[in-house]
Amino acid sequence: MTQPIDTTIYSAVTEAIQDEARRILSAGEVSAVVGYTAARRKGSAQPVVISSADEAAQLIFTPACVNNLAVYLTKAKKEIPKKGKIGIVVKGCDLKALVGLMGESQLKREELYLIGVPCAGILASTVQPATELTTDTIAPKCTECNAHLPLGCDFVAPQTPVTPELEKKYSAEIARLEAMTPGERWAYWKEQFSKCIKCYACRQVCPFCFCEQCLCDRNKPQMVDTTPRPAGNFAWHVVRAMHLSGRCAGCAECERSCPMDIPLNLLNRKMAKELKELYDYEAGFEINEKGPLASYTEKDDQSFIK
Amino acid sequence: MQKYISRQNFNALLDTLIAEGKRVVAPRMNAGTPLYEPLTSADEMITDQLPKRSGKEAFFPLCEDIMSYEKEGQNVTLKDIDPARFPETILVGVRPCDAAAIPVLDAVFSWDYRDEFYLSRRKKTTIIGLACTQADDACFCTAVGLSPDATRGSDLFLTPAEDGGYACETHSEKGEQLINHHLALFAEPNGSKTVPLAEPHTEKFDLQKVKTWLDEHFEDPAWDTVATRCVGCGACAFVCPACHCFDIVDEGTEKSGKRRKNWDACGFWKFTHHASGHNPRDGQPKRYRNRIMHKFKYYDDKFGQTLCTGCGRCIRLCPVGIDIAGILQEIEKQVEVKVE
Repeated sequence: MTQPIDTTIYSAVTEAIQDEARRILSAGEVSAVVGYTAARRKGSAQPVVISSADEAAQLIFTPACVNNLAVYLTKAKKEIPKKGKIGIVVKGCDLKALVGLMGESQLKREELYLIGVPCAGILASTVQPATELTTDTIAPKCTECNAHLPLGCDFVAPQTPVTPELEKKYSAEIARLEAMTPGERWAYWKEQFSKCIKCYACRQVCPFCFCEQCLCDRNKPQMVDTTPRPAGNFAWHVVRAMHLSGRCAGCAECERSCPMDIPLNLLNRKMAKELKELYDYEAGFEINEKGPLASYTEKDDQSFIK
Repeated sequence: MQKYISRQNFNALLDTLIAEGKRVVAPRMNAGTPLYEPLTSADEMITDQLPKRSGKEAFFPLCEDIMSYEKEGQNVTLKDIDPARFPETILVGVRPCDAAAIPVLDAVFSWDYRDEFYLSRRKKTTIIGLACTQADDACFCTAVGLSPDATRGSDLFLTPAEDGGYACETHSEKGEQLINHHLALFAEPNGSKTVPLAEPHTEKFDLQKVKTWLDEHFEDPAWDTVATRCVGCGACAFVCPACHCFDIVDEGTEKSGKRRKNWDACGFWKFTHHASGHNPRDGQPKRYRNRIMHKFKYYDDKFGQTLCTGCGRCIRLCPVGIDIAGILQEIEKQVEVKVE
């Protein structure tokens, strides 16, 4: 049964974010703040970069604040000036990406000012931005959230989100896929990948796709077929899932951004599940220079060698 | 010519066309996503959702082979694709915003170089447009001079009736031929009440005003404001009914392979990346500027029309909320401020 999700704290959270952004910008503690602002469509929000205290009143937090803003701090996004310390509005899920980027020496903690958001959930990409947040309209990732309150921020808005236990959408779907025969699973992904148009939205919004030149953009030599056909589509999504294993912490931006509704986060969650089982490793909670797939110990599980 | 067709006969018409061996492309669900795709049966057609991609791929596929090669020793054999083998196609249930984009594409593919791949498919396709009964706040067809019952680009245009059938109106010889070949399925107009049409709320743009501003503002801080946050994917261009840039790649081995034509997007950094390593559009604001300039200035300069039909797909699907209609409104305001 559909139940509303309580988002009454979001207006107080908005005020807290604005006050903190205003304070750090006027004190000169940061050169800019990356946050969310309201957009033209009813209820919609979009990323914004502000650099003066006067602009702080633009910042908001609503269920339409879906983006993981960490992507703007990576070296791949050259348009965002990275002078001095930068403030960033982060939900718990977004913070995991920042933690990962610090582990990979892409960001330095002391160059960030983290404005944490207590979050009860955001909207799924399939609904209009003005939709009320309910157990049906909530983004699938929020049903499995273990970071409603971001930890280790410089500032966290003081409100406490109400977070009811929800049916875990990815776990249920992964269990369904795992129960399939390899043939059925192949058919499932073949059908999903047949919709891929190689727009690379999944890559462009991903905080971990910061390679200056993606392997899939190379043509000397060409590594992966670039045409949106079965071979190239399959190669692209599998290469990406492997490259993100042990790094992806599940912000699900790839899946949200896919204009063809391909459930890309399922691949990432499945890989995360494998890593949890094999190495008892979960990405995004501590700054870790070498994830399990970038290191070797004699205790590593060898059972896959047959 | 005006006719009426019941829903049952309409389905029979599609099934007959399929049985005749024609490719019938219409909105249908593919793995949970509405897309214009070939039907195997009329039942598959859906009419309540705007497909996520436009109808342009009936003539301008996402990916198509344009040549193949084989090499044995010193002998190289090149094989052309024969456009005569493209199937006769009926593109059905096309929303007015998608149908109106087709004449826009026609102009560009038949200009200095005649693209036989596009034009052969286009010639063999009959377009059945469908009046639109649903709009959201990303829709802005009325703002660019179209409407939920605009017939531009349609050979035959359907308006849904309350009884489930359609009022039919022909707009070309192709449309008339289609009716005449299946006359028994059509009835004379019976005055059935039609379903209320969609009412997009975006106010009409003064496109001339927009163009005047674009003529003078190739360099402007506004481009940074709107597009610094652009992440450089190709979603906007790929879901657009009017965008038509493509890239050509060779795929295969030393022995054999294909030359293929794929959609391309001006948002990609690679789009203007020179072999030298230099990139004249060295950031997303410059790339996004090109998107707006092409749609509302360059294309207008060359062909006297706008390269946008207000379908709103790019607004709905942009991962970072870049809103082309909002940008045009802002540009209009700038011009007004200047006049005052």
